[in-house]
Amino acid sequence: MDLLGIMLAILGAAMAAGWAGAGSAIGVGIAGESGAGVMTEDPGKFGLVLLLQALPGTQGIYGLLIAFFAILKVGLLGGGAEITVSVWQGLGIFFACLPIAVGGFFSAIAQGKTSAACIQMIAKRPEETGKAVILPAMVETYAVLALLMSIILLNGISL
Amino acid sequence: MAVARIKKAELYVHKTDLDNVLSALQKTGSYEVVPISPETDAEGSPVHPDIGRVEGLLGEARYLLRFLEPHFKDNVSSLARTMGERQSISLRDGEALESATDLMKFSETVRSLERRLMEIRSELTQISSTESLLEDLSDFPYPFELITSGTERVRGVLGTMPAAKIPGWKEETAAALSSMGEVYVSVMGEKDQEGWVAVLYDESLNQQISDLLVRNSFSRVDIPSSLKGTVEDEQRSLAGRKEFLAGEEERIVTEVEAAAEEWIPTVRTLSDYWTVLRDRYQALSSGYSTEQVVILRGWVPESEVPRVTKAIAPFGLSAELFLFDPRPDDSPPSHIVNSPWCLPFENLTRLYGAPKYGEIDPTPLLAPFFFLFFGMCLGDAGYGLVMIGFFLWFLKKYQRMPKGFQGFFKLFVLSGISTIVVGTLTGSWFGDLVDAFSIFSFLRPVKNFFLILNPMENPMIFLAISLALGVVQLFFGLFIAFYDALRKGNYMGAFADTGGWIVFLSGLLLWGGVSSGFLSANAAFLAKTLALLGAVVLVTTQGREKEGIVGKAVSGLLSLYSVTSYLGDVLSYSRLLALGLATSAVGVIINMLAGLAGDVPYIGWLIALVLLIGGHIFSIAVNVLGAFVHSLRLQYVEFFSKFYSGGGSVFAPLTYKTSFVSIENDPEE
Repeated sequence: MDLLGIMLAILGAAMAAGWAGAGSAIGVGIAGESGAGVMTEDPGKFGLVLLLQALPGTQGIYGLLIAFFAILKVGLLGGGAEITVSVWQGLGIFFACLPIAVGGFFSAIAQGKTSAACIQMIAKRPEETGKAVILPAMVETYAVLALLMSIILLNGISL
Repeated sequence: MAVARIKKAELYVHKTDLDNVLSALQKTGSYEVVPISPETDAEGSPVHPDIGRVEGLLGEARYLLRFLEPHFKDNVSSLARTMGERQSISLRDGEALESATDLMKFSETVRSLERRLMEIRSELTQISSTESLLEDLSDFPYPFELITSGTERVRGVLGTMPAAKIPGWKEETAAALSSMGEVYVSVMGEKDQEGWVAVLYDESLNQQISDLLVRNSFSRVDIPSSLKGTVEDEQRSLAGRKEFLAGEEERIVTEVEAAAEEWIPTVRTLSDYWTVLRDRYQALSSGYSTEQVVILRGWVPESEVPRVTKAIAPFGLSAELFLFDPRPDDSPPSHIVNSPWCLPFENLTRLYGAPKYGEIDPTPLLAPFFFLFFGMCLGDAGYGLVMIGFFLWFLKKYQRMPKGFQGFFKLFVLSGISTIVVGTLTGSWFGDLVDAFSIFSFLRPVKNFFLILNPMENPMIFLAISLALGVVQLFFGLFIAFYDALRKGNYMGAFADTGGWIVFLSGLLLWGGVSSGFLSANAAFLAKTLALLGAVVLVTTQGREKEGIVGKAVSGLLSLYSVTSYLGDVLSYSRLLALGLATSAVGVIINMLAGLAGDVPYIGWLIALVLLIGGHIFSIAVNVLGAFVHSLRLQYVEFFSKFYSGGGSVFAPLTYKTSFVSIENDPEE
């Protein structure tokens, strides 16, 4: 039974890194498809397209971040002393990982679609790059909020 | 500072001096020409006699560049060119170059080369498709002549047929032909759906054979009529032809490369020279012409008037400038002028959209906030140092880069400074590099000396700071709106709309402070009064455009609901904490991974080094992008929505717009 707590924490970390990463992969993929289309016409837009394609990639990083926080918390990294994690504490860590897992997954996909549309926009109006970068960032707000909540929740669980 | 005052200008030029005046005007780069719709039915818009020729030449130059540039090895990289590494020429040089160059003749040569190249390439495609046909028919035993032209009596057809029908058809045809022809069926794989078949027959059997073919879903394939001999003969001759064409193609490409090498610099220079002339002539055609005089209407920033006056002074009586103040129904362009300290931030305003004429320029207002927010979002002193180093190096390397780029690079240098400050105070140097590796232990006291607050350990305090900054910026935005409304004499807007919100929100904030115990209970009365006063003002005024007392009351009450949007705005500033934490945490993770890799025997230190350098470079790239985008978003969405709408047009004077060379003044002038 004393292992179950740690395992739940690991499940949380796995969900955070896995789902947020999967969302980012889908989002970056969607944006990349659109970017490749634009570059067949104008390969010179590579820089701008890459910038916009990278935007939905941050959720994966946020997920990884929370995953590291979670396993650091239960002492799986860094070779410190062993920490006993009760089932309830483990469950708490698992729940704390959920905001970024769920929020990251869906927001990255939505952001990927917005990025794709903005890539189409700069294909026609390269002078509006500023606005094209801001629109996907509007979506990312909610990933940032999810990240924030995960951090605060993890921080609030005392072992 | 802010949006400069602009004068409406009318320039009257006598036709004898038109060219020179225009050229002088273009040199000042201070006069935006706007079209005049012809008011009377005089001659209307003047058309420069030279414009047709210049546009033709420009089209030719563009064609040449498009065709030749892929064959040109440039010794100035396109990055360097964008960064301002350009050759300078004067207009006089351009003119000399133009008369020394017979572009049309060269373009004729290039066109004939291009035509020949296209012919060769299309023939090559044809050959390769014929070759694949021959590949399919590799066991066809007869000369193709029998099919393409036939003999006196023998006819032949070639085509494909569904595999299932071939055996039956073959039998029937063979019977019909007896000795009067031959049947050919290609060797087929088991999975082939269709096979090649051919039949050679005596003319007299035409009807029968055709019937049989039609009945068995034969589809005829026309082979190129040039095919005469057997498969091997044809393959051999095609291979020969192909080799010849490839040689020819190579020769022409070399010729094109040589031409590109020799001509591209000239064509680029000329293309820029003609663009300058074309812009000048186009400005002229926005003007209005009478018999003797051309009128050019336009805009001149007040500060630039002396330059324009000086430029046209040498023409004496034949050029006369009249200046007026813009009328309310005019829509002058906005010419943003900022003092050097906030000049780099001007780009951010431009990205959103320039202010309308007479509106507030938000550049100096957003500058301090952007500076601070970027620092908080990135928040790592080590990363800040790398940023400053990188962008300073770029600024030093490309000193002649265009203004816009320069602004951005300086912006990043400034942002790097604020990042270092925030990073030092929060003790983040490449994540926790100093603490993670014992070889840096001598730096720990230095790091800890400046450390005030570690957001990794006290995220809630950092969150409170972020939200407080949000409140500060939002109130600042509301006060700007208040001032702006007062300035325009819109007292209702100032006191009812903005003022109501300021009072209401201050009351709510105080109330929150009291109930959470930060403020003494004595302030409670003040808080309630303010909140109530603000609410009353809002409820009574916000429905003023609605009809009927009920409509007014309902809209007024509903307007209080907007308080949620202020709440959302403030919460949005929590990203300052989240992104700051994300940067340090990514740094920590990289250091940890490197530390783990360091335990690998023998080559551990190498892996650790690669992980550290690569990881931190990646982290800098991702986090700088994030910090930039999110600090910008806070300005655009949360801050600008309180007072700024953009939507102005930027002052676009007649000037030298070039892509390859820069135009300098003639030395003797």
